[in-house]
Amino acid sequence: MWPHIRTVLVTLHLIAITLLALPAPEGGMDRQSWQNPTVQEELHAWTQTLNSCGIAITQPELEDRLWTFAQSYMAIRSEVLQPFLPYYHYCGTFQGWRMFVGPHRYPLVLHIEVAEHGQWRPIYVERDAQYRWRARQLNSYRFRAVLFRLGWPGYEGELKRLAHWVATEAARDFPEAEQVRLRFYQRRTPSPDEVRAGAPITGEFGPALEVPLRRQP
Amino acid sequence: MSRYWPFRLTGFGRCWSNWVAFLDRQEPGTTLALWRIACGLCLVGTIAAVVLAGAVPLLWLPPADGGYTQPATPWLFRQIGGVTPATVKGMVALTLIAGVLTAVGLGGRIAVLAALQGFLALMGLNSDATGGHDSVISNGLWLLVLSRSTETLSLDCRLRTGRWTSERPVPAWPRYLAIFQLVLIYWSTGLHKMSAAWTPAGGFSALYYILQQPTWQRWDMSWLAWLYPLTQLGTALTWVWEITAPLLLLALWYRATPQRPGLFRRLFNRINFRRLFVLMGVAVHVGIFVCLEVGPFSWIMLAFYICLYRPEEWRIGWR
Repeated sequence: MWPHIRTVLVTLHLIAITLLALPAPEGGMDRQSWQNPTVQEELHAWTQTLNSCGIAITQPELEDRLWTFAQSYMAIRSEVLQPFLPYYHYCGTFQGWRMFVGPHRYPLVLHIEVAEHGQWRPIYVERDAQYRWRARQLNSYRFRAVLFRLGWPGYEGELKRLAHWVATEAARDFPEAEQVRLRFYQRRTPSPDEVRAGAPITGEFGPALEVPLRRQP
Repeated sequence: MSRYWPFRLTGFGRCWSNWVAFLDRQEPGTTLALWRIACGLCLVGTIAAVVLAGAVPLLWLPPADGGYTQPATPWLFRQIGGVTPATVKGMVALTLIAGVLTAVGLGGRIAVLAALQGFLALMGLNSDATGGHDSVISNGLWLLVLSRSTETLSLDCRLRTGRWTSERPVPAWPRYLAIFQLVLIYWSTGLHKMSAAWTPAGGFSALYYILQQPTWQRWDMSWLAWLYPLTQLGTALTWVWEITAPLLLLALWYRATPQRPGLFRRLFNRINFRRLFVLMGVAVHVGIFVCLEVGPFSWIMLAFYICLYRPEEWRIGWR
């Protein structure tokens, strides 16, 4: 009898993990994030491909249809996966394999600065060898995953919380400082042709988040 | 209609019997033991990396205790009084110890279960600080919980038999599930690659641009602009290799049944599809490790490759 019970359980395991591994736009169901230039470039590329295949569709039409389809698909997926959720949760059988689904063509780089006597100066720049304040923690690979997410819409609250952490820690390390400032520098990744030609690609800073230093009594 | 039922049931019954018999197979525990050691080391490595970076408070504690955000409260933390510096440090210690016990094979399934639950509890504190490698580790540990992976090459074996190795057979199905999991990861990640950049429509430019992302790159990779055609080839090969990963299951089946007829069977066995798959996989993961800082991803994925080889193949390789 046990071999049959075991076979049923193994089969259920295979069904559970396969269903969860099927492609889904999890994490991408925020319409605001679709306005990101990287996402817009993807939609543009697919619109052009469809047009070249004889399918007449505009980019806004494609975006709307994809959004509608994604909503329906995710609703059905949620129903189907419901019975298996405890299995994923307690046994660690999550299947999130959305790894490098597409290159981020407009990557963000976090800059942290302190104001001393009214003058801003950088103390940490992501992946920069010169400005390395708390780099051991901030550059650790788990925190890189956090930094990658903080630039996306929906993470404004988390960015504020990070700014408060920075303000608390910087108060210890920079006794002269009054404020900290966090902002992302965004620059389009140069194409191979542009790199070879030495063409300069300029980016721009996004909105800055300024927080007064939090000195512990 | 009725005349079809007995036929269908007979067909289903035969399939079921074959499936039951397949999962009832036994083999020496060498492969599972090697895989356990590799998974245990990956688990210890990924937790130790957080400790050594001094990032435990930043990632896993509330702001009042040095964290940047309010952590979630996974079920295991709810049982031990919530998320506090003491409980988080205790969980880190428990997970590290259980990971070491898993690697050395002491405590059987209990040690692996403790490692898995400690790991899940820590990863549940801050889901933004997790990655695909964590899911690979937890899936591996769960399959190890279900297996008799300490039957050989373990302290358990040493204590039980006085020797480091044992010939006692163990169920082979956890190894089969590990292979399926490996294939599922590649197939799923291949299907998720919907960006035009992975296809001819985007000029197979994905790999070049991914390697330029400052968040993940290990060092400056702008020199790849002069090797762009190679990155295009790499993009195409990687994508095709991932979405055709299920062919590995077919190849392993053909390999196990070489006496049966069939053109594809002969072809797959002649070209040694498994060896090609492993060579490509090792190249991809070593490449990822050299170019990108994505934690233990390469190592835990390569750990699963151990399961592609039967115990007798490891023994022959060892000799």
